[in-house]
Amino acid sequence: MRRVLISVLTLVLALLLLSPAVAAPSPKDDIRKTVDQLLVILRDPQLKGTPRREKLSTVIRARFDFATMSQYTLGKYWKSASAEEQKQFIKLFSDLLEESYIGRIEAYSDETVHYGAERIEGERAEVATSVHTGNVEVPINYRLIRTGDGWYVYDVIVEEVSLIKNYRSSYGEIIRKEGFPRLLERMAEKIRDLRNGKAKPAGGG
Amino acid sequence: MLSLRMLLMGAVLGLWGVVAVAAGPAAAADEPSAPPLDEGYEVNGDSVWDPIEPVNRGFFWVNDKLYFYFLKPVARGYRAAVPEPGRVAVRNVFRNLDAPVRIVNNALQGKVVGTLDELAIFLSNSIFGLGGIIDLHADSGKPSPEDFGQTLGYYGVPAGPYLVLPIIGSRNLRDGAGQAVDRLVDPIPSPYYLKMSQLEIAAITTGEQINHLSLDKDSYEAVLRDSLDPYVTIRDAYMQNRAAKVAK
Repeated sequence: MRRVLISVLTLVLALLLLSPAVAAPSPKDDIRKTVDQLLVILRDPQLKGTPRREKLSTVIRARFDFATMSQYTLGKYWKSASAEEQKQFIKLFSDLLEESYIGRIEAYSDETVHYGAERIEGERAEVATSVHTGNVEVPINYRLIRTGDGWYVYDVIVEEVSLIKNYRSSYGEIIRKEGFPRLLERMAEKIRDLRNGKAKPAGGG
Repeated sequence: MLSLRMLLMGAVLGLWGVVAVAAGPAAAADEPSAPPLDEGYEVNGDSVWDPIEPVNRGFFWVNDKLYFYFLKPVARGYRAAVPEPGRVAVRNVFRNLDAPVRIVNNALQGKVVGTLDELAIFLSNSIFGLGGIIDLHADSGKPSPEDFGQTLGYYGVPAGPYLVLPIIGSRNLRDGAGQAVDRLVDPIPSPYYLKMSQLEIAAITTGEQINHLSLDKDSYEAVLRDSLDPYVTIRDAYMQNRAAKVAK
C-alpha cells in the first residue's frame, strides 16, 4: 500500500515538474510574465532611483527584440547602413526606447492590466491588453516574434498606433533631410537629456 | 398624457436596450478581418501627403502655445476645483450626446450590430444612466466609435492632405470635412434641434476640451519629451489612428 502511494506521489511530482517544459509558453504567457514583473518593481516602495531603473531595464531587455525593432524602424535605410552604423543604431535605439518606456510606465504604477485576445500567425503573434488607470482605459497591443525558446516583442501598438511605424516616419525624415550620422547624434543627445531629466517640452512648457 | 406615454415608451425601449446590450456579443460580427501581422514592416509605406507642411508647422506652433498658456492652466484649475467623479460624469454626458453621430454612421456603413449596440447603449444610459451622467456600460465592450470621416473612408474616399487647423488641431481633409457633416447630427452644434448660437457652441466645445484635458495624464508632454520631431510624431500617430479606425 505504502509503496503504491509513494510511486503515485512520485509520478505526480514528475508530471508537475515536466509539465512546464512540455507546454511551450504562449505569447500571452510571456507578455503577462514580463508585465507582472514590471508592475512588481514599480509597486515596490523600497525601490527607487537607479536600482529600480536597472531592474526595469533587465526585465524589458529580456523580452524586447531590439535588433528586429531597429531593422523595422530604419526600413529601407537599414540595408544602406554599414554594419557599424547598424550596431550603433541598435544600441542608441534600445536606450532611447527604454528611457521613454520607463518614463511613461513610472507614471502608471496604480494601473491594472487586462489581457485580451491572442492571435498567432506562424512565427508572429499579437497579444491585446488594455491598461486601466483610474477612469481611462488605453488599449496596448504587443506584437511578438518567435525566436527559439520564446516570444519577443517587435512592436507595441498603442491606441491603434504602431510605435515602430511612428518612429520610422520621424527618423526617415531626419535621415532624408540631415543624413544618417546626424540622426545618431540627435538620438544620443535625446538620451542624455532624458537621463538628466532635462528633456523639456520644446514648446512653452 | 402625451408625456406619460412617451415616458412609458422610453422605459420599454430602454429595457429592450439593456437586454440587447446584455445579449449582444459586442460588435465583432461587423468587423472585417485584420491585416497580417507582418504587413508594412519590411518596406517603407507611403509617406503622408503633407503639401502645406510649413503652414501646418506654423499652426502646430500656435496650438502648442494655446495648449501651454491657455488650455492647460485652465484645465489644471478646473481639475483642482472639481473632483474626478464629477469630471468623469461630464465626460459621460458629452459622450452620450455624441451618440446620434455614432448611430447614424454605423447605419451608413451597414454595421447592423454596431448600430443596434450604439442605440441600445444610448437609450439605456439616457434613461437609466440619468441623461448619460452614469455610463452603465463602461465595462462592457463597446462598438468602435464611427464618424462620417470613417463612413467616407469605408466607401473608398482617400484621406487626402494632412492639415493642422488652428485651435482644432490635426485633421486630414476627408475627416475634417466628415466632422463638418457630423455637426449637423451632433445635438450641440446642430442647427436643427438645439439651435444654439456660435458663441454658445464654441463655449461648450471648449468646456468639453478642458474637461477632457483634466482627465488626461499629460500625453502631449510625453510626446514632446520623447520625440525628435513632435510634429512628425503627432502627424503619423493621427494618420495611423484614423486609417485603423476606417479599417475597423
